[in-house]
Formats: sequence, structure tokens, C-alpha cells
Amino acid sequence: MSIHFKNVNYIYQQATPFEQQALFDISLTIPSGSYTAIIGHTGSGKSTLLQHLNGLLKPTSGQITIEKQIITPTTKNKALSSLRKQVGIVFQFPEAQLFEETVLKDIAFGPKNFGSSEQEATQLARQMAHLVNLPEELLEKSPFELSGGQMRRVAIAGILAMEPQVLVLDEPTAGLDPRGRAEIMEIFQALRIKQHLTIILVTHQMDDVARYANHVIVLEKGRLLASGTPTEIFSDPDWLRTHHLALPQATRFASALQKKSGFEFSKMPLTEEELANQLVQQLGKRG
Amino acid sequence: MEKIIEIADLTFHYPQQDSELLRQVNLTIHKGEWVALIGHNGSGKSTLARLIDGLLVPTTGTLKIGGTILSDASVWQIRKKIGMVFQNPDNQFVGANVEEDVAFGLENLAIPRAQMQVRVKEALQRVNMWEFREHEPARLSGGQKQRVALAGVIAMRPEIIILDEATSMLDPEGRKDVIKIIQELSQAGFTIISITHDINEASLAQRVVVLNDGQILQAATPQTVFARGEKLLAVGLDVPFSEKLKVALSRQGLHVPAGYLTEEGMIDWLCQSISKT
Repeated sequence: MSIHFKNVNYIYQQATPFEQQALFDISLTIPSGSYTAIIGHTGSGKSTLLQHLNGLLKPTSGQITIEKQIITPTTKNKALSSLRKQVGIVFQFPEAQLFEETVLKDIAFGPKNFGSSEQEATQLARQMAHLVNLPEELLEKSPFELSGGQMRRVAIAGILAMEPQVLVLDEPTAGLDPRGRAEIMEIFQALRIKQHLTIILVTHQMDDVARYANHVIVLEKGRLLASGTPTEIFSDPDWLRTHHLALPQATRFASALQKKSGFEFSKMPLTEEELANQLVQQLGKRG
Repeated sequence: MEKIIEIADLTFHYPQQDSELLRQVNLTIHKGEWVALIGHNGSGKSTLARLIDGLLVPTTGTLKIGGTILSDASVWQIRKKIGMVFQNPDNQFVGANVEEDVAFGLENLAIPRAQMQVRVKEALQRVNMWEFREHEPARLSGGQKQRVALAGVIAMRPEIIILDEATSMLDPEGRKDVIKIIQELSQAGFTIISITHDINEASLAQRVVVLNDGQILQAATPQTVFARGEKLLAVGLDVPFSEKLKVALSRQGLHVPAGYLTEEGMIDWLCQSISKT
């Protein structure tokens, strides 16, 4: 499912003294099947933009096209219910939204709500639990007895159980330990490959952007600052610094090394493997 | 150096559980020291912090804080020496504005108003949040909230500050701000225990204590602990970038130095290598 924004503006509490514009004239495309990263500071409009992706917010002006469905300021909420099933959003700290008696019931809640039978929903829940690597013996436990990382996987499985075509992730690894972070990121990668999902990732972790995304959208103060491939976006360390954006570790290291020594990088490396490749080549040539 | 925390043969398990969460923990922390406590989820880090603050009682073994054995009789006196900041910035506010929130603990101690005002101002200035004193806590960013929580702790004038993953829910800028404040507090002489998964935060500590399945696996300088390389992931810490790069280089057949190198050290080594070739 491809997504297009055309001249989208969004104003919170319009026509009140608290009026605040959060999005300014945003036009962009998220290609179908892409792994798109949205980066920008806290307050850059990432969360506002994200809530437009399944109609939780409607634009104040402009329009959004998701596959064939067009959302304008006057679209009725009733027309958006199918969209909510197609675009699944995993919000920040989604484990705060768990509520059922057992893990399995919690994951099955979404599909049941959208009209699946008890049996269908339970079967789907089992599949999804498996997909996010939750061991079978946890399924009948209370979700509140699990560890933080496990709870988060239950919440993600709950969204997956609605079988969305687009999975939107708002800082899915925040607050997890490094191993938990790596596991979760690998799960999304596998989902994209096996289930052909379009993935939209909001993150501050530039290493994840470098490693997983193939399309990057940069927001600043509610405006679209840039979009392109990770290689394009991270090619100019000085530009990123000017906009107070972090670099992937390998890019930052290469940039520091270039300033200090005889190393030259024709293409800024994004991961330690790419960096090691270029370093070995240059060391080899001279040797 | 003066000992401020002495933990001897400490074991802990919850009454309803058979397995021990902490086993035979021995650890001494000196006054003014900054210790980073690391370990994977469930390794017992937070349990240890709660035992130090007397929120939990050890099953066996003893804890001494400032030379006094922690007991039912001494816990209230000891708790005044310790301030704790927790992970979630949203769960720690009671006041309607920043200033009142920082004053809350002092009100509980019945500190006279004039003195309270001085201490609140001093604490908020210390975390660079004085200009936000009239703001509503809920409307602050995560990093600002954690700095206010720290001010609430500083106003109580503790000797020991325990940060239980206080930076883990923050964005990079908020995290940087809080780490900078921790550095300043350490320089000002506070004893700091920071429980963390963040390699940058751990690298600033004088000592890193690694907990694994309820036991201390290692207690050494950050450099020594970071030399574990890729094995750090198993004890709940990110692998430093310089170590990741070394692994990637040696996979390509390059000989790399054996010991731990900081990023600067790695850059120097690469510069030397290219000038030699």
C-alpha cells in the first residue's frame, strides 16, 4: 500500500487560544513495500504525522491517499474503519495498553473486535505470538507477569493479529536493553521479508535507520526537511550537524577519521561492515 | 577513602519465591565514587538498588550505609542520605508546577519556608531548570522531567544518588542533558550509582559493576569491562563502536590490537597503520 501526502497542514485546537500548527504543507510519498524511517527531533511533528496514517487525525487542509482511499478534512470517521485494519500503529510503550487476563486473549482482542470468531481470533493470536518469538508456555499467563521485552512483543503481536498491510512503529525499542532492542528489530525485518509488510519506523536510533531502512523522511518543526535513501541522507555529516541530527556510528567515525588522516571515503559508510570494507581496501592499496 | 556503602554476603529472595534474586553479593562503594551498575534485564540490578535504599530487606547478609548497619531502627535516618530517580519520567510528579514538585519532599520534612525556597532554587539551578519553575510538569519534555526529578532529590541534600535507568526512556538530546548533570553532580562530590544500558553513561563512571543472574560477575574500570567486546551484549550493555569495528576488520583478515581501544584510540591506530603502509 503506497501512501501519499499532498500539501497536508494540521492545526491542533484550531480557532481557540491554544491553536498550534504541527504540520506545514507536507507532501511526500511512502512507497509500497518500503522500510521507511521518519526522523526528526522531539516536537518535529513525527507523532502528528503518524496519526494521519490511519485516520486518527485528519488533515486541517490538504489530502492523504492511502492505496485508493482519499482522506480530506471532511472525510467521515465511519469511512475510516477499514483503514484502521490495514494500517496498524504500534505506539510508544505499547505494553501500557495491555489489559486482558491472558497473553492469548490480549492478542486476540483486535481481530475479535473486527468481527473474527473466537476460534479464528485465537488461532490468529497463536500464529502472531509465534511470529514475535513468544514461547508457547507464556500464552496462558497474565501479560502483567512478563518481562518488559516480552510485554512489548505481546502488544506488537496484538497489532499484527489485525493483519495490517502497513505496520507503523513509534520508537518500538525505547526503554529496552540492547539485546531486547536487537531482537525486536530483527522481528520487524523478518516480517517485512516474510509477510511483505510496508514498515514505517519513527526513531532516534540512526544505526537502525542505517541498517534497516531503504527510505528516510526528515522532519523539522513540522516541515519536510528532506527525503531520500539512507545513503543520500547520511552523505553530508555537516548538514546533519547543522540540523542537530545524529549520525550512524560508522558514519560519525568515518567523518572523524577523514578529518584527521589520509583516509578518504568516496561513499560515507553506514554500518561497521561497510566501514571495515573501505578501510581494508585503503590499507591494502598502500601496502 | 571513606567507605559509604558496604555490602557483605548479601542474599535476597522474595518470600513466595524459591530462587534467589541476589546471591552472595559483596561490594564496597567509596564516598564520591560513581559506579555504573549493569546487567541484562532480570539480573538483579534494581533489586540491589532497592535493598540499598531499605525498600527491601535482605534475606541474609548486611548492608552498611555511612558506617551504620541498615535495620528497622536506622532505615529512616539512612534513607535521608539516599535519593533515587526512576526510569519513567511520568510516574514521579506530585506538584502542580515544577517549583512545588521540587519542594514536596522538603515539605514532608517540615523545613521552614525561607530555607525551603533557598534549597529549591539551588536544586533547580543545578539542573538548569530554574527558568521553568512555574511550568506544569506534564508539559515538559522527558529530559526536562528527569532533571526536575533530579532536582527533587538534590533539594533533599542526600549523599548518595541512585539512578535506576533514569535515561533509558529519553530521546538522545534529553539523555545527553541528564548525563551532563550526573557528571556535574559527581564532580560536586555526590556518590552516584547509575543503573544503565547506555555505553556512554557507563563509560563516564569510575567503576562498572556487572551483575549476572544475581551475582557480581566483574567490578572494574570501564576500559577493563568494555574489553569483553561482543560478550557485553549478554550482560545488558551495547558493544562499544570501536569493538564492533575491530570485529568487522578482523573478519576481513586485518590484524587488530587485542586490548580495548576507545574511538580516539582506534582512530590513532588507523592513522598510524595507514602512514606505515
